[in-house]
Amino acid sequence: MRIGTPKEIFLGENRVAMTPESALQMQKLGYECFIEKGAGEAARFSDKDYKNAGVKVLNSAASLYKEVDIVAKVRPPEDIEIKRLKKGQTLISFFYPGQNTTLLEAANKKGAHIIAMDMVPRISRAQKMDALSSMANIAGYRSVMEAGNNFGRFFTGQVTAAGKVPPAKVLIVGAGVAGLAAIGAATSLGAMVYAFDVRPEVAEQIESMGAEFVFLDFEQEQSDGAETGGYAAPSSPEFREKQLAKFRELAPEMDIVITTALIPGRDAPKLWLEDMVSLQKPGSVVVDLAAERGGNCDLTVMDKKIVSENGVTIVGYTDFPSQMAAQSSTLYSTNIRHMMTDLTPDKDGKLKHDMKDDVIRGATASHKGKITFPPPPPKIAAIAAKAPVAPEPSAEELLALEALKLKKAGSQQTALLVFGGLLMLLIGAYAPSSFMQHFIVFVLSCFIGFQVIWNVSHSLHTPLMAITNAISGIIILGALLQIGSSGFIITILASISVLIAMINIVGGFMVTRRMLQMFQKS
Amino acid sequence: MGIGIVTATYIAASVLFILALGGLSNQEKAKRAVWYGIVGMALAVVATMFGPGVGGWSIILLIPLLGVGAFIGMVVAQRVEMTEMPQLVAALHSFVGLAAVFIGLNSDILGTHGLVGAEIAIHEVEVFLGVFIGAITFTGSIIAYGKLAGKIDGKALVLPFRHLLNIAAIIFSLILLLMYMNHSGSWTLYLMMIIAFALGAHLVAAIGGADMPVVVSMLNSYSGWAALPQAFY
Repeated sequence: MRIGTPKEIFLGENRVAMTPESALQMQKLGYECFIEKGAGEAARFSDKDYKNAGVKVLNSAASLYKEVDIVAKVRPPEDIEIKRLKKGQTLISFFYPGQNTTLLEAANKKGAHIIAMDMVPRISRAQKMDALSSMANIAGYRSVMEAGNNFGRFFTGQVTAAGKVPPAKVLIVGAGVAGLAAIGAATSLGAMVYAFDVRPEVAEQIESMGAEFVFLDFEQEQSDGAETGGYAAPSSPEFREKQLAKFRELAPEMDIVITTALIPGRDAPKLWLEDMVSLQKPGSVVVDLAAERGGNCDLTVMDKKIVSENGVTIVGYTDFPSQMAAQSSTLYSTNIRHMMTDLTPDKDGKLKHDMKDDVIRGATASHKGKITFPPPPPKIAAIAAKAPVAPEPSAEELLALEALKLKKAGSQQTALLVFGGLLMLLIGAYAPSSFMQHFIVFVLSCFIGFQVIWNVSHSLHTPLMAITNAISGIIILGALLQIGSSGFIITILASISVLIAMINIVGGFMVTRRMLQMFQKS
Repeated sequence: MGIGIVTATYIAASVLFILALGGLSNQEKAKRAVWYGIVGMALAVVATMFGPGVGGWSIILLIPLLGVGAFIGMVVAQRVEMTEMPQLVAALHSFVGLAAVFIGLNSDILGTHGLVGAEIAIHEVEVFLGVFIGAITFTGSIIAYGKLAGKIDGKALVLPFRHLLNIAAIIFSLILLLMYMNHSGSWTLYLMMIIAFALGAHLVAAIGGADMPVVVSMLNSYSGWAALPQAFY
């Protein structure tokens, strides 16, 4: 079948849904690839690159829609693009069917199948086609760059001959994919990063990215995001009050605030109010990643950068992924390619729209003339529900438990030793003295071997195997002693033993050395 | 060299082996550790060669054998690709197993000269065990090598009643051991060797290709156990 990508007609959109690299992969699935002339220009992919990757370049969007069976694009289609759709044609793009009902109806009337990349369910199998996450990741990174661009100081602290520079303090509100990406970018620039989220389970993720979790002392049971597919749910008014009070407390210190709080299917919650902006120092920056949905900050103006009365810059751009078009196109086209892989299970270039597949069903908004949005809830929950936590034992109880364990282990060890000792005595009573000497060595070696191996680091287990193998070649001694004995067969067998044991010894040690050399830097 | 010096050298070699294994606890020490192992092994071999146990003329035979073995080992270890290391280690294990079998057979032919009472029984058990474990290690390692190298199908071979088969093989070997100790003749030892060969091959063939590294380290342990009874002579 034929798959094609038109040039995005939305103003200022630089991304493209197919890159030369993704086209190569798509051809491996058996598809013929088409692209509109100049579609990749803005993302730095030239028509020549596409031609070299075996993509046919078409002159107009109209002819592209006529030629292909599958259209892959980035933005939801405009009216003119809906008009170009054919019956039975499949459109893969961001669609936001929840908000764009009229658009969905129009596309449905045309008889086109719609796969909305923003509706891919959040389950681990579908992560590779989760375009919202890959775009949010870029937005998070870019928001830090944008903040740095408007911020007149270093991110990292420095001590120079010309004086001490304190590190910038960054507050990230909402630690979803974008928030975590922003934390990563800001910490690696050297800022002191604080992050807040209503879902307590992300505290660990925040801390693992190197930021400090802003802890809210609040008694009420907070939702852990398991039932909302990993997204945040609206919080109670009391919680909100507490949260705002905390932000007010933090506002005077924070040089950069990046807000990413979104609740699915609602306007963005207002979290950074006007009075907090007025508490901030002049020269501070607020980047509002929720600007498209009304913004988390009171003063945010969508697609604009404004400066407040007290000199705080508030950035409300919504096109962060588009600003990094080369990167975002690469990621988005990979998401599309993975979606196509799932849609082409036989790798024969034939699209198989399997409505029984959870992921494909979830993403499909219109199929065979029927609107299939909203999809049924996915069978697998995104995050396993939290198990009820047993009451924490008190310190005294813990101590008692510990003591009990120690006692138990101690008595076990004693029993084992007594048993072992008795066994030794029994052997000693019957075995000859020469055997007992060897037996001492045997038991001691068992213990030494156990103790020694226990300390070997995990990365060295393969060399350990090789070196113990080499050492087990010590069996050569037995063969050496036998070789001098009379008897033809014995000499032959012993000679062979000496030969192969020697191969084992030398080979084993050499192999160990070669393995260890791999651990050398340089 | 007197027996005292040989024993002293053995003690030094043992200490070096322990240091070699213990040194693997970190990457930096590990390089030195390998040298400890090499020196320990060299000490043990040289001490045995020039010790009282080896007659004068056999050294003439030994030196070329050791030389050829060392050469082959070196060439193989240097030629092999890094990704083929696991199968090489498996192949090397099979050598230890085979050597243990041969040495055990030799001990049987040599007989129980100069041993009295319980010593004879212990010696016989040792010989028998050495051959048994050595044989399992030998065929097991060869199958493991084949699976790792892709020469044998990696899928687990599942025979009907496989556990029963294994148990039967072990019980039969035990009966043979009793017969061997009652001096029924060396044929019991040879028969058990064949059973153990089959048992080793079957044990490893029943394990899938992905679990081979575990098998190899298990066989590694076996090859140590195989070497062990020989040390009790």
